Order: sequence, then C-alpha cells, then structure tokens
Amino acid sequence: MVCLILTFSGLFLDWVLRHDMELEDRQFLAAEMQSIRILLREYPLDIKAWKAEIERETYAAASTFIKYYVRISDEAGKSLIETPGMGQIADNSLFPKAVRASGTSVEYTKARSLDGKPLLLTSAVVEGYRVGDTGRIVRIALDMSHETAIINDYRQKVAFVIIAGILISAFLGLLITKEGLRPLTELTSTVKGITPEKLKERVGPREWPAEITSLANTFDTMLNRLEESFTSLSQFSADLAHELRTPINNLRGEAEVTLSKARTVEEYRQVLMSGLEEYERLSRMIENLLFLARSDSRNSGISPSPLNARQEVAEVLEYYDAIREENDIAVTITGNALVNADKTLFRRAIANVLSNAFQYTSGKGKIAIHIDSQKTSLQITVIDTGIGIEPENLSRIFDRFYRTPKARSLHPQGTGLGFSIVKSIMELHGGNVTVKSEPASGTAVTLEFPRRGDDSASDSGRRNM
Amino acid sequence: MHVLIIEDERKTAQYLKKGLSEHGFVVDVAENGEDGLHLATTGEYTFIILDVMLPGRDGWSVMTELRRAGRETPVIFLTARDSVDDRVKGLELGADDYLVKPFAFSELLARIRTVLRRGPGRHSDIVRTADLEIDFLKRKATRGGKRLDLSPKEFLLLWLLASHSGEILTRTYISEQVWDMNFDCDTNVVDVAVLRLRKKVDDPFSIKLIHTVRGVGYVMEDRADGVNT
Repeated sequence: MVCLILTFSGLFLDWVLRHDMELEDRQFLAAEMQSIRILLREYPLDIKAWKAEIERETYAAASTFIKYYVRISDEAGKSLIETPGMGQIADNSLFPKAVRASGTSVEYTKARSLDGKPLLLTSAVVEGYRVGDTGRIVRIALDMSHETAIINDYRQKVAFVIIAGILISAFLGLLITKEGLRPLTELTSTVKGITPEKLKERVGPREWPAEITSLANTFDTMLNRLEESFTSLSQFSADLAHELRTPINNLRGEAEVTLSKARTVEEYRQVLMSGLEEYERLSRMIENLLFLARSDSRNSGISPSPLNARQEVAEVLEYYDAIREENDIAVTITGNALVNADKTLFRRAIANVLSNAFQYTSGKGKIAIHIDSQKTSLQITVIDTGIGIEPENLSRIFDRFYRTPKARSLHPQGTGLGFSIVKSIMELHGGNVTVKSEPASGTAVTLEFPRRGDDSASDSGRRNM
Repeated sequence: MHVLIIEDERKTAQYLKKGLSEHGFVVDVAENGEDGLHLATTGEYTFIILDVMLPGRDGWSVMTELRRAGRETPVIFLTARDSVDDRVKGLELGADDYLVKPFAFSELLARIRTVLRRGPGRHSDIVRTADLEIDFLKRKATRGGKRLDLSPKEFLLLWLLASHSGEILTRTYISEQVWDMNFDCDTNVVDVAVLRLRKKVDDPFSIKLIHTVRGVGYVMEDRADGVNT
C-alpha cells in the first residue's frame, strides 16, 4: 500500500515537474519570439542591431543556464543571421512549419539536435514592417539538455526516496505492528494463564492502550460470568451430593440394621416399603434435575404458541381440586390474556407455583390468581394466604434444593427444586419470576412473560410464531 | 406368555425376570445385543423388553434389525437416557413404549398390559370389582346398587383404578392419566384425591376396594378373601 502510494506520488510529481518545465520553456520561447518580432519591426534591416540584441539576450539567458539558438532567414530560406552553433544543432527541417502568426500562439516541436541534445523548437514568420518588405522566418531552438539533466537527477532522487521510503515504512510497519500487538500478546499470555483453578484472575487492572481496554473489559466480564457459573456449579454439585447423602444414608442404615438379625416378615416389609418411598423421592429428584440441566443447556429450544392463559391456569387448577376442597381454600381467577409460551412448560411453571400455594396455605385460606395484561408484559400473579417466607430466606428460595426450615418440616417429601424450575422456565421464555412474602400472612408469586410488539394486538386474533 | 429381556445389567435383568415370572410370564434373558437379536428373530415371544445401552450391538440396532427381519413382536424400550430425541427415535424405530430408568416395576407391568391390549380385543366399557360397577359411557358409578356422586375427575380416577383392577398404579401414572400432568410438581395431590375418593367409594361400605401400596401408589382390588396388608 505504502509502495503504491509512494510510486504514484513519485510518478505524479515527475509528470507535474516535466509539465511545468515544458510550460515554462514554451513561455520562454514565446517571449523570446515576441522580443525578436519587436526587434525585427523596429530595425527591419539592421542586421547588426539584430545580432547585438540577440547576443545580448542569449548571453543573459546563459547566465540562468538557459541555452538557446536563433536563426533568422528570409522567406526563401537563406539564413541572414544565426547564433553560433546553430548550424551544428538543427537544420530547418526539424522546425515546425513557420506560420504567419501574431500574438502568442506559436507552434512547438520537440526533437533531438544533430548532436543528440533534446530541443524544443519553434518558428514564426514575421511580416515586414513596411509594404514590400519581405517577411522573415525566425527559428528558435531551446537546448533542453540542462532541464533533462535536472529531470533525470530528480527522477533518480525520487526513485531513491521511494525505495528508501518503502524500506523504511516496511521496517517501521513491522516495528509498529510489533509494538502495537505487544499488549495483545501480553493479553493472550494472561488469558492463557487463567485456568479453572485460577478463575479469580483478571486482565483488567493493568494499563492497556485505549483499543485494548474494551477488549480487556469484555474479557473480564466474561470471566466474571464464568466464575459465577463455576461457583454456582460447584455449589450445586456440593448441594447435590449433600441431598443424596441423606436418603442414601437412610436406605443403607435401614438395610444394614434390618439384616443384622432375623426379623419378622412384617418388619422386612416395612423396611422395603420405607425404602421405596426414598427411591421414589430420589427418582423425582433426578427427573427434576435433568429437567433443570436441560433447560440450562438449551437456550431457545422451546416452541411457544399463543395460549389462553386463563384456560390453561384453570386446567392446571383442576389438578388441585381435591386439596382445595379438602382444605376449603377459596380460589379466584381474574383477568385473561393470550400468552406466548410453550404449553407444557407453561403448565409446569403454573403447577409448581400452585403446588407451593396449596401446600403452604392452611384450611379456609385464599388463593387469588390475577392475569394482568400490560403493554410490554403479561403478568400472572398467584397470591396465597399461607405461611409465608421469612425475609432472610426469601433470596434463597430460587437456589436449587433450598427449602425453608418450615417447608422442610411441613412437607418432607418435597425436592426443593420447584422454584428453581419455575425460574428456569421463565428464563427460557425471556421472562422472570418475582416473589414477595410476609411470614404468616402470605406469599405473592409473579410470573412475567415478555410481549413482543405484535402480541398486544393478538389478544383478539391468533397469531403464530 | 413368553418374554425376552435384553439387558446387560445383571441386577436389572434379575429382578425383572423375577417380577415378571411371578406375574405369570415365562422369561428369557439375553445379556448382549447379538444374543438378544438372535433369540428375538428365532424364538416366538409375546413381547420384548430391550435396553438401549448394550455392549456390542445397541438397542437401536437390535430394534432396526428385528423389524427388518419382519418381526412385529411388541418392544418396550428401557433406558437411562430420556431426552425427547431419544424417545422419538425409539418410537420411530417401531418400539411400542419407552420407559425411563428409574421406573416403578408396577409401571412396567401397566405398560406391558397396555401394549398387549393394543392388539385385537378392546376392553369393555363396563367394569366391575366386587359390588362396584362403573359404566364409562354413561359416566355412571354404582356400588351395591347405589349411585356414587362423583366429580368428573373423581370418576376418571375411579375408572382408572377399576379398569386396572389388581394392578398397582403409581402416582406419576395416575397424574398423567387423570390430569394430564406428565411432570412432577412436588405435591401430594394424588394422595388427597384418592383419600377423598375413598370417602365416597369405600367409607360407607365394609369391604374396602382402594388400597395404598406404600412407596409405590394405589391399587383397586377385592381383598375380601382375606389378603391383607
């Protein structure tokens, strides 16, 4: 690129220089022609005067390194006067055909002199001043060898500059690239050094150049997220191990104790049945965990369709009819809207929220479900008058396996994964879940589904994704 | 009825064999895919229980080869893998059902019965257990000639139990069949529902028909002949 730019500018400068020089030469020749024209008019016959004047002029020009030759002849072609050396330089055939021109429009030709010098030639016919005078033909040859030398010299220098420029720019480019990439190289080695064990390390705190800072920050943000998921993952594994430990310990202990001496058939039956209960709980836990693991790994693998929120909620509610009637709980639903959601997942989220509401709401309680359609979102709120959640436990209820002490004692068969599942389903839908609660007075769970622009109009008409 | 179990896990194969034998099936076991395929194509089996993960030839391949050989023996897949893709693949290959480990043995029995029933012969629209009579089409349940006042879901639940009389039904299966809830949601709804159903169906009568099987689920049977739990 740099080579191209240098070469082109070199060529351009060369062209400009030559062009300017030639223009100057032409102007010089034109001026010279003009002064000879005046000379011939003023002294039509005084050849001596011509000679003196021309000698003076050529002499003056020579002092500025301009060399030129003049020949004045009559119309028949006979030379009347010429500057010395003209004969060796050019004969008349080299010149352009003389025309009777006035003013500055003069013909020029370029040619090589008899001894090989570059020449710029011009000629003109100068009319006699008085009637009857014969015209004179004036021929001027400008020796351009000096200029050619200048141009050649200039060309050499430009070529040198271009080559040197290319070399220097290549070298500088290499140097700059290397210097410019140095932070990147350092960044690379820093990033290389970050392993799962050293996730605490960050690339940010150092002074990076402005362009790298944003990259370094991005890296740090990514590392933050990675560290977060790593921590939550290892926390999760620890929790999982802990959750498994208790039931397996029970199973093992029960079996061991039972086998340590002979028992009645009834006792064996009891142990086996108690074991079955644990196994069932473990199976449910595995099923829920797999569901969560899959939700984590699929980012958009859901197939939403427009659902009638009220109808779906009512259908799920039917499932709880027995508990509702048994505990005499009053359930109300208000509002309606279309929600864009995966049917199975939607029902699962609602069912998990309702399970909690029914589980922890005692006799003669109330559960109110509000479906609230807003511009940008659709909210489904389930408010119960149950035991509530203590403020200090509220932040943890979305943690996998977390169960409040009260919940553990009231409903020991639960897995503590219900709210995690709700949260993960809401995240799959790009929505979220929030919980407000007051101990002893109740809990409100709000599921918020985002609406796309075209959904707001689809409450009346159906629309497919 | 002759059953083939293709399963490399010894313990699984053993308890399946034991359980099925005790339910009146004659059971053969193959411990790898090649042997299983050979037995399946040469023998006459009523149905086949096939594990997906097998040494050598896997379950998918056994299934494919079996159908290619023109055998239409019903197949129930057992597997620890339960992604939707796996399920779909199993059913597409021509399996009749797909059961994910861990499963309740009673659930397997229920599925086997369903698969076997799928053939000719529909089960009747009226079922009777002791003095309980349920007419599915008329949505009518009577016990000792007295009509039971049931909600639609209660009727469905009673019908499910009665039409599988003698079979233990798991809570999962009941949730799925009656309420179409095919996922766990941490609740004892089924227990409460059965409890309420008992109040109407069993409480007024001396002979109890609905029994709890601890750790598994529920069963309807007439235990008047002295069987007790």
